[in-house]
Amino acid sequence: MSATGTAHVSVKERAELALNDEFLRKAVKFTTERLRNGKKNASADHGNWEEWRERGRQIRLHTIANLDYYLNLFVDNARANGVHVHFAETGEEAVRISLEIAERKSAKSVVKSKSMVSEELHLNRALEKIGVEAIETDLGEYIIQLAGEMPSHIVIPAIHKNRYQIADLLSEVAGERLEADTTVLAGFVRKKLREKFLEADIGMTGCNFAIAETGSMVLFENEGNARMVTTLPKTQITLMGMERIIPSFEDLEVMATLLPRSATGQKLTMYMSGISGPRRADDADGPDEMHLIIVDNGRSLQLGDPEFQELLNCIRCGACLNACPVYRHIGGHAYGSTYSGPIGAVLTPALNENVAEWDDIANASSLCGACYEACPVKIPLHEMLIYLRRRKVEAGHGHKLEAAGMKGFALLMANASRLKAILALGKVGQKLVVRKGEIRTKLGPLKGWNSYRVTPSLPRASFRDRWATLDQEIRHGLQELNPEMKRRMEQAVKRREQGGGAGHGGH
Amino acid sequence: MKVSLFITCLGDAIYPRVGEAMVRVLAQYGVALDFPRVQTCCGQPAFNSGYWKEARTSALTILDAFEDSDFVISPSGSCTGMIHHYPKLFEDDPAQRERALKLQAKSYEFTQFLVNVLGVTDVGATFPHKVTYHPSCHGSRLLGIKDEPMALMERVKGLEFVPLPFAEDCCGFGGTFAVKMADISGAMVTEKADHVKETEAEVLVGLDMACLMNIAGNLRYRNEPVRVMHLAELLAEGANLG
Amino acid sequence: MADIKTTDAAHAAWLKDMEAASRAKQEKFMNGIAARLGHPRTREKPAHSFRGAPDFWRTFEWSLEERVIRFSDNWKSVGGHVVRLSNMDEVRAFIADKGRELGARLVVRQNQPELAALGLEAALPEARVSVWNSDPSEHWKARAAEADIGVVMADYAAAYTGSVTVLSGKGKGRSVSLLPTVLLIVVPVERLATRLGEVLANFDRAGREQLPAGIHFISGPSRSSDIENDLTIGVHGPGVVYALLVG
Repeated sequence: MSATGTAHVSVKERAELALNDEFLRKAVKFTTERLRNGKKNASADHGNWEEWRERGRQIRLHTIANLDYYLNLFVDNARANGVHVHFAETGEEAVRISLEIAERKSAKSVVKSKSMVSEELHLNRALEKIGVEAIETDLGEYIIQLAGEMPSHIVIPAIHKNRYQIADLLSEVAGERLEADTTVLAGFVRKKLREKFLEADIGMTGCNFAIAETGSMVLFENEGNARMVTTLPKTQITLMGMERIIPSFEDLEVMATLLPRSATGQKLTMYMSGISGPRRADDADGPDEMHLIIVDNGRSLQLGDPEFQELLNCIRCGACLNACPVYRHIGGHAYGSTYSGPIGAVLTPALNENVAEWDDIANASSLCGACYEACPVKIPLHEMLIYLRRRKVEAGHGHKLEAAGMKGFALLMANASRLKAILALGKVGQKLVVRKGEIRTKLGPLKGWNSYRVTPSLPRASFRDRWATLDQEIRHGLQELNPEMKRRMEQAVKRREQGGGAGHGGH
Repeated sequence: MKVSLFITCLGDAIYPRVGEAMVRVLAQYGVALDFPRVQTCCGQPAFNSGYWKEARTSALTILDAFEDSDFVISPSGSCTGMIHHYPKLFEDDPAQRERALKLQAKSYEFTQFLVNVLGVTDVGATFPHKVTYHPSCHGSRLLGIKDEPMALMERVKGLEFVPLPFAEDCCGFGGTFAVKMADISGAMVTEKADHVKETEAEVLVGLDMACLMNIAGNLRYRNEPVRVMHLAELLAEGANLG
Repeated sequence: MADIKTTDAAHAAWLKDMEAASRAKQEKFMNGIAARLGHPRTREKPAHSFRGAPDFWRTFEWSLEERVIRFSDNWKSVGGHVVRLSNMDEVRAFIADKGRELGARLVVRQNQPELAALGLEAALPEARVSVWNSDPSEHWKARAAEADIGVVMADYAAAYTGSVTVLSGKGKGRSVSLLPTVLLIVVPVERLATRLGEVLANFDRAGREQLPAGIHFISGPSRSSDIENDLTIGVHGPGVVYALLVG
């Protein structure tokens, strides 16, 4: 599998590095905060957000449930448009096909617009190996390519870098000292990459959506680099995850409503392009030859899995990263793989089907559900994280000490009298560590917790100890149930019986 | 009508005062809570960590405890939220799943029951203090508890409400997360407590003692004098029901 | 690898082989998907009851004046410029003034009758105005890349998102709206719809065979916030973009 990363180091260790990097934390916090507010404002401004979310979810659910039909239709139409379609079951296969095309075209350089699939395949490294220069042209991607890093955010790849670090990287390319000014730096990149666009043999893109009924590929972007890449070089290669399909342009309106607002708070990105094949015979620009590589690489493993199929609904907007309090503190690289944040924590183990190796990513979540709330297509990531943890335990990869602890938990909680007995024991035991009603020791199991907090001590009597006295006191002189409230309670019971069940909560 | 108290393990062992406050507030309206002693824990720590077999053992005590209750009220959105996971937890056991669905339909977090079922928003409390509120994630996101606590606080005389900046952000508790990912959790709770400090509130209230224990623990660690309490406690104290 | 010289014929043969392999694989791929989904291959178009935008949205429409106002607000909010003109004579005058003001020396325009009728060559005597793809021996991408100003007609526009749509074609280069430093888009107001969906519906209606190779929605100047979330205008595409609303 190609979606490799740094699984041999634990999330905990990588997070520790990030937590000690004050700049990184500030930068990530600042940008995610802005994006999160942008999304909030844009969705509120648009209105009926829940209806749009539900509509987006339904379109994605429908398409994935019939993916054999829609993908097949898309392929037939793309081919009819003159596109050379290829299928890659694995990342390696996608790389092999890409390299073969590059070799056939005697390519010296490839200009690339942002593609998470390409990151997943580590394609740049493979191209460089056969002597083809691969140039990322999205400003953020270009920066991290120069730095030799992975993107740390799906939408803002260089979110963790400041302009001084960026000025250093670009000055090296320029061969002169560039001022750490955003306009100067972006201006330099514009000039530098303009040459590259014009001389490149191959343009390579990702694909945000693929329209089944017309065989069109749709790209969303703000810089214009994806347009450059699909307009100037003679050959175009598009890498597409097999699940990117939507049925029609009509459906695209819903995706175009959800994606930019969720990603950056924009009504629409500056450019949205629908590409339906290579240039027509009379056209004076656009590629002569267009290749489309449809990539599985673990995606089909989710099909038919009731707990994870919805993962394929993801439209890669990054809203879950911006909403996630864990991501905000540790940044993207701490996740150790191409995809970071809540979506990465689920997608990486799911695509790789090696839960054991990546399981600790699933632990890097407090299960607060902010990701689900932010998701424009309502993927229940917070629940999927629990399913991943369960699968790991069921596969026998559970942490030994934790497994023993959980056995103890079950033993204790199976029976209230055991719980009562252990609490009594705890009250005796805690005498060693309680000072003024609090526990501050950093020894033993409380070390992690007490490095940031004090722990309350057990009170003299538990609730169940007090119950008999309290109940007696309350029942003595209890007034009659308020008739209006009695009526309301009866109504609630009736509603419930009529099937209005969990109407008082739950998603 | 049998209205039962689902005390939760934290409410039983560490914060009995919260359950007591709930009992007293509801008694005002003639609602006498029943307390089935066979209940233990909702099973969430095991469930969230992936140990579903162990979670089921614990959850069975809850199913048994509230078999013939008409309403099941808890002082925690998170533990009530766990009951919403029971149908999934027992998905391979049709009989238990059926019981789980029934329990889910009759389970309420305290303010949901008070406001939405009983229709109470004014408990007749006075609490002349500056108060801020942390909406716990499971209560607000899973159960949709957003307006209920606000409606109750609005009607407390003398209460000066100060909104908590970034209120919806998780406090970093997350059960075993706080232990397994102690440093990330620590960074999160530190940020949360910073926001509480920013409000200059005297009192922080919430609807979940786990989150409140976490935030209070950090505030105490830094010797910040903010008082942390469950909304039920605030209402009971304000209405002199102690 | 540079020594691999593929002749056109050899390349065509390779493409043919690849296609045969791809078609064989397609069946296997789709069968695999259907098997995982647990159903036989779906051959008939499945009923899709959630197609497109929610119903309440489809009836939403602004008056022409409202559309003009909203389009202009949106366009300006992202750093674009808008001018309202009453006829094509005013468009000619505006472009002539703008060209002089910017000291434009090279102008490239689409080969469209509305633009030809403007007579820009006469209106901009100091500049060289070239007409896209009017001479097959010319290197048109390079001409567009060196141009100071590109002039295009909008095929459609949508007010709600503040977007203009341009389609590619023989006389309509994609490069003209992409490579010049300054872009002038002429938008006849009767082409200005309320919703993005109204524009998109045209492509479903037209069907695959009728679609151009490139359909491009442009909503303002090229921009990036990739450095410290600080907005920069004109990263790769045109940084100065005018929408000339006519009518």
